[in-house]
Amino acid sequence: MSWNFQEIQETIEKEASQVANLKDLETFRIKYLGRKGLVQEIFASLSSLPHMERPLVGKSVNTLRSNITTIVEDKKKAIRDRCAGIAAPLEELDVTIPGVTMGVGHQHVLTQTIDAICSIFEGLGFVVQEGPEIETEFNNFTALNIPVDHPSRDSFDTFYIDSPDPQRKGRYQLMRSHTSPAQIRVMQNNAPPLAVVVPGRVYRPDSVDASHSFMFHQIEGLLVDVDIRFSDLKGLLTVFCQRFFGKKIKMRFRPHFFPFTEPSAEVDISCYICGGNGWVAPSSSVLSSMNTSLTGEPQGCSVCRRKGWLEIMGCGMVHPRVFTAAGYPKGKYVGLAFGLGVERIAMLKYGINDIRIFFENDVRFLEQF
Amino acid sequence: MKLSLTWLKDYVAVGVSPEKLAHKLTMAGLEVEKILTVGAETVFELEITPNRPDCLSVLGLAREVSAVLNVSRKVPRLPKRLFPSAPCNIRILDRKGCLRYVGTLIRNVRIGQAPEWIKKRLVSLEMRSINNAVDITNFCLMETGQPLHVFDYDKLEGGKIVVRRASAGETLVTIDGIERKLDSSILVIADNKGPVAIAGVMGGKDTQVTENTKNILLESAYFDPTLIRQMARALGISSESSYRFERGVDYDMVKSGAQRAIGLLLDCTSGRLAGYSDEVVAHQRLAGPVINLQKDRVRRFLGADIPVPRCRRILQSLGFDIKASKKDILKVKPPVFREDIQEEMDVVEEIARVNGYDDLPVSLPVVKVTSLAADVRWKFRQTIRASLLAQGVNEVITYSLINEKDLARTKQTQFQVIKIQNPLASDQGILRPSLLPSLLSVAAFNINRGQKNLKLFETGRIYLSDGEKEALGILITGRHEADWRENRKYAFDFYDMKGIATQVIARVCAKDLNMENDSHPFFTAGQDVSVVVNGTPLGSLGKVADEVLVNWDIKQRNVFFVQIDLEALRSFYGVFDEKRYRSLVEYPAIVRDVSLAVNKGICFKEVSAVALRLGGGILDSVKFVEEYRGDKIPLGRRGIVFSLCYRAHDRTLREEEVNNTHEQIVRAFVVELGAIRR
Repeated sequence: MSWNFQEIQETIEKEASQVANLKDLETFRIKYLGRKGLVQEIFASLSSLPHMERPLVGKSVNTLRSNITTIVEDKKKAIRDRCAGIAAPLEELDVTIPGVTMGVGHQHVLTQTIDAICSIFEGLGFVVQEGPEIETEFNNFTALNIPVDHPSRDSFDTFYIDSPDPQRKGRYQLMRSHTSPAQIRVMQNNAPPLAVVVPGRVYRPDSVDASHSFMFHQIEGLLVDVDIRFSDLKGLLTVFCQRFFGKKIKMRFRPHFFPFTEPSAEVDISCYICGGNGWVAPSSSVLSSMNTSLTGEPQGCSVCRRKGWLEIMGCGMVHPRVFTAAGYPKGKYVGLAFGLGVERIAMLKYGINDIRIFFENDVRFLEQF
Repeated sequence: MKLSLTWLKDYVAVGVSPEKLAHKLTMAGLEVEKILTVGAETVFELEITPNRPDCLSVLGLAREVSAVLNVSRKVPRLPKRLFPSAPCNIRILDRKGCLRYVGTLIRNVRIGQAPEWIKKRLVSLEMRSINNAVDITNFCLMETGQPLHVFDYDKLEGGKIVVRRASAGETLVTIDGIERKLDSSILVIADNKGPVAIAGVMGGKDTQVTENTKNILLESAYFDPTLIRQMARALGISSESSYRFERGVDYDMVKSGAQRAIGLLLDCTSGRLAGYSDEVVAHQRLAGPVINLQKDRVRRFLGADIPVPRCRRILQSLGFDIKASKKDILKVKPPVFREDIQEEMDVVEEIARVNGYDDLPVSLPVVKVTSLAADVRWKFRQTIRASLLAQGVNEVITYSLINEKDLARTKQTQFQVIKIQNPLASDQGILRPSLLPSLLSVAAFNINRGQKNLKLFETGRIYLSDGEKEALGILITGRHEADWRENRKYAFDFYDMKGIATQVIARVCAKDLNMENDSHPFFTAGQDVSVVVNGTPLGSLGKVADEVLVNWDIKQRNVFFVQIDLEALRSFYGVFDEKRYRSLVEYPAIVRDVSLAVNKGICFKEVSAVALRLGGGILDSVKFVEEYRGDKIPLGRRGIVFSLCYRAHDRTLREEEVNNTHEQIVRAFVVELGAIRR
């Protein structure tokens, strides 16, 4: 059998020019390139040809195949382009209708704040640790150099539960009034160097009002080694505040008193509302944050109460007696510690003026963050 | 603590503006909260930390100002006075409650107005002027920090002062006109008849000095700080006196404060000194420690170079005694009124504080890498949370302390609860043993505000008799969020809750998960299961019972809840060898749908178990499609539709092969389970 490739080529081109849609194109492709198509038929016939003719016919059929493939591809592209041109004007969408989402949940603003703060310290090489909320008097007070007759041990300032304290006869376990007892546990179980942050819930019998809650959150930090200095405390917390509140804020370290640190300080940052002036420039966007007296006279910035500074955390160098209580050898280690109230930071950061709203869990509140 | 600047300037040359002084004091740890203008006077309102009772007076603050500004100061001149040998009749019976009592009798006083300059000082601190004797005690209190009291001597039965505990049943009308019930926890000043003052807290009305008073007895004492604090709290009184006593007054000032007042009283009332006693119970407060300050400690600890002479000057201006200065060591003795100074670090702090923290250098610490890893609870909780947030569940935080009644409302009375001994209100009475009451209260709160479609979760501690545990609670109620392209709005049901819980658990644990029928009083029968992972029950899931919802005033009935013990679940977490990569099969799958009517007692799990058993290595998975309960199904049966997916990992399956196996499986449904093909 002999093949007239010239004629075949012409027939194919003629047929191809009449193909108008993808369905016809597929029929066309199968007719020539399919398993039972013409090209396969020619290949199958090769074996029956004389040896001499085989190379020539083989070459021609290969050329034919590649020509058909090109025709099919070109045709496909042409049909697609034409269809796209026709379809678009028919289906014009109202692009202002809201998009449809999966409805993702919202993380509580307090745990968001905790995560943000802890991740800054994690980035600085600190490790997150947690501790129990039910504590002993030793861990919550004694080990932290808080004297036996200190007012914070009174039932006015600490919740006691009805389970006996395993370490002190005749006394009861308590709800930790700060996250510091977790530090004691970490130190009792690990030798320095140590760099930990401890987030968690704490409890104090305060009457609930706009700025007090009987349950709130703290984050505590502790760095212990042989050569930590007070200047390191200043540097570390400066880095933290700049990363959390922004590079522009000013800071100051104000001497303060905590039984478990010596020297102790409170960290203030310049007020983000009034920029540290104590007075807010009377632009409409910030008027809502100002107190106004009955006569309508501005009373200054209500966020910092005209001080220009906001207290954000307490800190200090770990008191030597705390190390002794943790079982560390005397005089060997130095450390720095700091602690902050998560609600207070979140209130400052987002302009929330009532602590109770965190625990009401109104979904309109939750979904703002 | 209020401080008048005019008064301060009597004793120290300030020489800087009030604003500058306020800043300096604040930065030395004596925070000036407000600068007030009272008439022509400038008054500071300071917050004094509890370790510094010595700063609760003009003289104490003058000492700090002189140190901080590095200027000289004066103290009031106390003229040498000859005290009469006649003692006052003072007996201290409670020798722990009262360590020192100085009593002075002044006769023939003329009670009237105090001199203008004293009145002006008191008015600037917003204290009321009463009469010359009382005003002088208040004046000396503010100036020296020593609380004082004057009695009308003639009203003291037997002319006698007894310091003792009150007995049960005794009462006293205090100067504010309120009758106080006393008991043995209260230290009182008494005469022969009964209590005349609550020691260190408030005087009695009957013995107060009036314009008719002829003879007065002046009291200056040291009372036990802890006792006074407890008394003031128990009685609900906080006075200028109790505020100072509970922090600890200067033991030496008991005498010199009295002397300052005696001088003014004699001047202003034209009285005559007629009796004096200084009853000393204990001297121990006079013995303070001598502390060795290593000279290079300041540099090593603060990272700052503060020269030794500067350190000496700071300490001396604060009243420290430099006992000796050796090559490496400074031996210092803190003043008696600085009980807070106990060891070397306390002395270093004084130097740092007066020098100013702002002037100390800044450095960055070297944080060393250690083997201590982050708390496993921390990462675990974050993984759990991420899965829930992705499923559209909002995180809530609720109080861990709840009302015990909430458990009864929730029909969860099976717990042995941990009680709070000293709650402020009954809604903080117990530690919650379950998250259900907390989440129901959040749901009720939101539903009341018209927010009826809720998906909420909390990770928090629950407290059981064997201790605290971290748990996960999820509550859903209402409907799926509407998609405007679809009109149908689905109400949440059991399968939504099961789906959320399943996905969370699968995220952290590759073990086998089953929901097994269970019965809890707070769930609706039939929609109440326990969540079992690898054979261990980890929690319960179900539809909250109608009676519980009624108790919480929740009107909508489709409320679903699950609580999972996160600590038990965590024990399966991180077992990565359970999760293995399965190579992706490239051969096509053949899917066959099956529709059956099964007896109501037959569950889907049994049906799929039959299929998997007979699948002969080519049944890849069984996928549930639909359930149908309706009239088209014979009574006592329900319709289920599911698809069987056949696939081999090493070849393309042949039609006949699949047909054979599929027929076998379907026949088993009929024969083994009594199912009817539909």
